[in-house]
Amino acid sequence: MKILIIMAWRNLWRNKRRTYITATSVVLALVLALFMRSMQFGSYETMIRAGVNEVGNMQVHDTGYWDNKTIDRAFFTNPALEQKISSLPGVLHMLPHLESFVLASYGDKTKGVQLVGVNPEAEDRQVKISGKITSGSYLRKGQAGLVIGDKIAEYLNINIGDSLVVMGQGYEGTTAVGIYPVTGIAHYVSPQMNNLIVYMDLETLQKLIFPFQPGLLTGISVYCEPGLEDQLLTTIKASVGDHYDVISWKVMLSDMLQSIKLDNLSGMVMLMILYIIVAFGIFSTVLMMTVERRRQFAVMISIGMRKGKLVVTSIFESIFIALIGVVAGLILTTPALMYLYLNPIRMTGEMAAMYESFNQEPLMAFSIAPSIFFSQSLIVLSLALLSAFYPIFYVLRFNVLNALRQ
Amino acid sequence: MSIIQINNLHKTYTDTKVPVKAVNGISLSIEEGEFTAIVGPSGSGKTTFLNLMGGLDTPTEGDILIGDKNIKDLNSRQLIDFRLHHIGFVFQSYNLIPVLTAIENVAFIMELQGIPKKERHQIAMELLKKTGLEGKENYRPGELSGGQQQRVSVARALASKPKFILADEPTANLDSASTEDLLNMMAELNKSENMTFIFSTHDKRVMDKARRIVTIDDGKVVSDV
Repeated sequence: MKILIIMAWRNLWRNKRRTYITATSVVLALVLALFMRSMQFGSYETMIRAGVNEVGNMQVHDTGYWDNKTIDRAFFTNPALEQKISSLPGVLHMLPHLESFVLASYGDKTKGVQLVGVNPEAEDRQVKISGKITSGSYLRKGQAGLVIGDKIAEYLNINIGDSLVVMGQGYEGTTAVGIYPVTGIAHYVSPQMNNLIVYMDLETLQKLIFPFQPGLLTGISVYCEPGLEDQLLTTIKASVGDHYDVISWKVMLSDMLQSIKLDNLSGMVMLMILYIIVAFGIFSTVLMMTVERRRQFAVMISIGMRKGKLVVTSIFESIFIALIGVVAGLILTTPALMYLYLNPIRMTGEMAAMYESFNQEPLMAFSIAPSIFFSQSLIVLSLALLSAFYPIFYVLRFNVLNALRQ
Repeated sequence: MSIIQINNLHKTYTDTKVPVKAVNGISLSIEEGEFTAIVGPSGSGKTTFLNLMGGLDTPTEGDILIGDKNIKDLNSRQLIDFRLHHIGFVFQSYNLIPVLTAIENVAFIMELQGIPKKERHQIAMELLKKTGLEGKENYRPGELSGGQQQRVSVARALASKPKFILADEPTANLDSASTEDLLNMMAELNKSENMTFIFSTHDKRVMDKARRIVTIDDGKVVSDV
């Protein structure tokens, strides 16, 4: 076997220029593929991280709430339930929410907004709303104030200290009407949030929606340790019983996952085109290397070399070309991607606006997931193996005498 | 002792417009230790005859017995193995493996036979010494002259310890001095190792060295002296 490997390796260098050109095409394709996939997966990871950060790894709701988000499907705080969930190994913390769609009026303008009642300190530790305040200040526990998105402020022409009237449906047929001062204006990454979300203290909102009994919630976001999500989802589902639904972030962020899938698919199509070009490059080299050694193959078979061994030599040649390209590609790409992973590029100007228009943080993030490197390298090696099919068929159908006569 | 027994050998090519009888009823016996030249004009069938003897081509009719094996009965895979262990080849254009050194070319055939590394290295060194290539072991074919390459080719043919060596016009690409050297070396090996050499040739100098000359014309033996 060793001599076959030696022959295959040396055969590559019989025509150095051709080998360099082929290997370079593999390197370029791999570099391009790795950058593209790293960037794609980096942005997916950022989007998912940001999404999960906001909604939690899973949420506990009243049965049917997710499909029909009415205030009448809210539920009252259940300390035993919360204790049961928080005591499960892997659960990091929980954030209770009360959400209701209301009309918000200021002056002669009215706008539909989503009131989100939160525990100000706990929510801020996770979602970091205070960091997004552009004017005014963040919420305080028990304070009757509002943090509104900047687009809402712009539309209603409302400023810090002005009072906003909110009116909507309360729990079980009541009417919820209140007037609260705007304490902060925030700018979020998502234009949808800037246009829709109004944060307020949970207890204050609970009093607005149903003043007769404290503790009304529409959901509890549960945050857990990485990797335990699926296991915990099952455990929590089993422990909360039929009165509650437990929904994974994958369901809550299904639109985002769908768009990621679509984007991923378009990336794969691009890569496929790139790899088809590379495959032809490798194939043409293998083809030339095979045909130009027709007589040599004939002699080797004549003196007693089995065709199978010739096939193995040809396969080694294809693999070596791909390996040279893959190793060089990885050496070139890995440090650069590592640097970009640690120092993502923050976009500004029009590019930032474009990112925001897609509800994304204007950050070009890169992923260094080993699967990216592994899968792309494997694809290149598979293409090389695929190219080796030609010499296999060529050798197996080879007519020794015809080749010797030439 | 006869090592090759050929009985009523025919080879007809039917892939041409008109069927061509390249070998037309040759019967021949080759004894161990012979130094035989197969001669004849171009198109007489001598190369086809050599290819049939070497198991590179299959006869239309007739038998080729090498030892106790009729090579007509072997399938293509068995033929490859048979050639590896029983027949040595020397080609007109040397046909060494260009990416291997002289010693690797000689050892290559022994590696195919499964001979251990140490042993094949030792045998290859001895063969290169015998063929006058001491000191050239690590030269690649491109770094050797035509005569030297043909010597490596002979060493490679000897390396498999074959029953006989088939040499298809081995001197056709060599100058006079190289031809003389090569023939002397082969004659010496024939004498010292009792190795059977069968040449196909046009070369008068080969014929002069041969102890038996079989002349073929129109696929038939016309003289055997």
